[in-house]
Amino acid sequence: MILRKISYLAFGALVGAASVGFGAQPSLNLLAGAVRPAAAANSADQLGLFSKVFEKVRSTYVEKPDDDKLVVGAINGMLASLDPHSNYLDAKTLHDFQQTMKGEEFGGLGLEVMQEGGLVKVVSPIDETPAARAGVLSGDLIIGIDDAPVQGMTLKEAVDKMRGAANTPVRLKISRGADKQERLFTIVREIIHVQSVRSHLEAGDIGYIRITQFNQQTTDGLKKAMEKFQANGGGDKLKGYILDLRNNPGGLLNQSVQVVNAFLDHGEIVSTRGRNADQAQHYNARPGSDISQGKPLVVLINGGSASASEIVSGALQDQKRATLIGTRTFGKGSVQTVLPLGDNGAVKLTTARYYTPSGRSIQAKGITPDIKVLEDIPDDLKGKVDTKGEAALPAHLKNGDDEKGGSDAYVPPDAAKDTQLIAAVDLLHNVRKAETTTPGIAADPAKSGGVAQVKPN
Amino acid sequence: MRKVSYLVLGAAFGAAAAAAMPQASAVFANGAFAAAADTYRQLNLFGDVFEKIRTDYVEKPDEGKLVEAAINGMLASLDPHSSYMDAKAFKDMQVQTKGEFGGLGIEVTQEDGVLKVVTPIDDTPAAKAGIMSGDVIIAIDGETAAGLTLDQAVDKMRGPINSAVNLKVQRGPNKDVKDIKIVRDVIKVQSVRSHVEDGDIGYIRITQFTEQTFDGLKAAMDKFRTDAPGDKLKGYIIDLRNNPGGLLDQSIEVVNAFIDKGEIVSTRGRNADETQRFNARPGGDLSHGKPVVVLINGGSASASEIVSGALQDHKRATLIGTRSFGKGSVQTIMPLGENGALRLTTARYYTPSGRSIQAKGIEPDIQVLEDVPDDLKGKDDTKGEASLKGHLKNGEDEKTGSQAYVPPDAKNDKQLIAAVDLLHGVKKAAVEPPKTDAPATAPVPATDAAKPN
Repeated sequence: MILRKISYLAFGALVGAASVGFGAQPSLNLLAGAVRPAAAANSADQLGLFSKVFEKVRSTYVEKPDDDKLVVGAINGMLASLDPHSNYLDAKTLHDFQQTMKGEEFGGLGLEVMQEGGLVKVVSPIDETPAARAGVLSGDLIIGIDDAPVQGMTLKEAVDKMRGAANTPVRLKISRGADKQERLFTIVREIIHVQSVRSHLEAGDIGYIRITQFNQQTTDGLKKAMEKFQANGGGDKLKGYILDLRNNPGGLLNQSVQVVNAFLDHGEIVSTRGRNADQAQHYNARPGSDISQGKPLVVLINGGSASASEIVSGALQDQKRATLIGTRTFGKGSVQTVLPLGDNGAVKLTTARYYTPSGRSIQAKGITPDIKVLEDIPDDLKGKVDTKGEAALPAHLKNGDDEKGGSDAYVPPDAAKDTQLIAAVDLLHNVRKAETTTPGIAADPAKSGGVAQVKPN
Repeated sequence: MRKVSYLVLGAAFGAAAAAAMPQASAVFANGAFAAAADTYRQLNLFGDVFEKIRTDYVEKPDEGKLVEAAINGMLASLDPHSSYMDAKAFKDMQVQTKGEFGGLGIEVTQEDGVLKVVTPIDDTPAAKAGIMSGDVIIAIDGETAAGLTLDQAVDKMRGPINSAVNLKVQRGPNKDVKDIKIVRDVIKVQSVRSHVEDGDIGYIRITQFTEQTFDGLKAAMDKFRTDAPGDKLKGYIIDLRNNPGGLLDQSIEVVNAFIDKGEIVSTRGRNADETQRFNARPGGDLSHGKPVVVLINGGSASASEIVSGALQDHKRATLIGTRSFGKGSVQTIMPLGENGALRLTTARYYTPSGRSIQAKGIEPDIQVLEDVPDDLKGKDDTKGEASLKGHLKNGEDEKTGSQAYVPPDAKNDKQLIAAVDLLHGVKKAAVEPPKTDAPATAPVPATDAAKPN
């Protein structure tokens, strides 16, 4: 039987999403013929133990239990024991997830969230949404929603509470930073367009492309943006591109591959490897797909750039196609597959690690930029806007002894103060590096030579 | 199948606690027939996911661990007191009955992944180092406690005697972070400690209800007769403050040592026909009818509440202190052969008057608050059962916890002083400290209640 799989690389759950699923998905029937003989006896024992306990709970618990909830609790417990990115999606969560990946609209706040220590943590506010305008920040812990404590809610319950009809308000109580300063935000819901790609001409001659997350709209959005640059800036006037992947938590694997391909005409983009070596899959650039005309490219990254964002930056860095500016990325080097379970939702399971073209895994390490540029963080946010990164997540997949934590994930709302963006523009304008080095900029000596790298090739 | 009824609030890991001598492995054959098809569907779904993980996960999973995590997840979805003990945790629990291990002496519980101190056990390194009820343990030896299971955290805290553990704890609403270094010691949980208070009162402290409790109590009461012979003994103080509970049968025996007849407690499972009544055995009363005061606070839970509820309903004791925790359910330990054991909530219990204290607690007859030092104010309260996620509901008038602070110096212990004064017949007006609030319920006339009967 055919099992439709969706490879997925985001690390948060998106708050809010609307409409359509992925169409009819065949339900799973895995027990038939799938059991490996060698392990069969042991697996049968294990399943036997589980069913004994299930029966025991059903018959002797102090109240009549809800069987569905018992099984969902069990599946959740089992998946959560594996790693922080494997989990169970019930039918509704799956539906929302599919909407998000399709890039549909929904009524919500515009927050990427994940669960941490029983609370809900903001991975990042989505650009130009009520949450972003209200000043919700990456790393904020949501401790109350409409006066209900978040402690004790599942991620889904919290997300459901934050979603709702446009023009209705939500009160969020947020704890920020190491001193857990509490703040109250009242945010009015809006229709959130999960607009994956936004773009404009920066400084008159640079094509600026912001990818907020990788969904099914991303490649089309990117193509449109680049066509528009051709029309507006046209031909030789265009000095190059800035691909802004800051606070982009990831998304669909195939979309990240196509984004790389738009800047690269040949060579490997990424490979994924499952448990067995024979499961390695290599993704290569299709010749003729490069629509960048070889113009210089700068990629902006920070501690909130994860998964699919890291595939893109890793590939463009290894292929020396782009100069990476910003701070070290999150470090999520695993691929999740969404496996539908008929009417019973789906399992999001970590099925592979991915490797950049040079063969490195960035899992729990992240990608170090070619030119490290720190943003100037306002005093009241200092120490509150860095992500801890994959390496700090409990039960993350291990990757040797030199794991590294996260980095800053702050992007100034005012572009005029965005030192990373300014550094990118200066680089593409060939302003001499000595002049562009502001106090916040520290070149990474091992990887500098940024100017050479962004030359047309 | 031998079952052990167990009523402790947290996982005892400083304690020579609990239950479970040789236990026959469980036999499960009693599923409900009507739901068989549905059950099959549920188990199939689980089997599908299990199989998927087995074949497709990025690393070869440990199947035993997968199933343990599944069982854990299933039990955790029920209520805060149902859980799974793997073979090691179960063995630890049995080893503890022997009495000794290297540890810190803390009762801990896990709430939404947060590791919390239920109570430090008296006279242990943790208590001496100043660990307090309600402290949240955020790191053990520099490693974050987030993501650890309760078992893992307990394992990390245990270890060889004289080795050190560094705990990072968060205290109170300000979440003040403190680093506390504690050297492990032999933890022997002495369930009962006693002495003659003020020359003529038998003071009995029960730290938790273990298999040793009743014997310890009997020995204490024998000793009182030697130390304060004849009519000299004015009465007893049973101190159940910060006692998180323990074995059901022991709590029944403790009550029986003070009453000679009547019901002590009843337990009711899902079906009415599963009601079990526990009555006093005539001849079991060792107290010669002398007055009894029971001290309770927000850290008194489960078996402690059975004892205080029974003695209150029988008007056999005057309860002094603050409202108890409110854990009105009974857990049964069910061994699973070589695979550890389940701790499953199987019943609620009811005091002799038929009330369930679940998520409500027991109100003292005389409420006496301790003076909490300024730096601990607001940090010593337990939130109680009613604030635990997924707790069993008990009507609309649930009540949250209360103070759980006991001054280390007995001279400042206002609850103890009030108990002594009451037993000495000091007039109530005189003993009532300025901060004492009138009890919410009509107080049992204290002197009457404490009279021999």
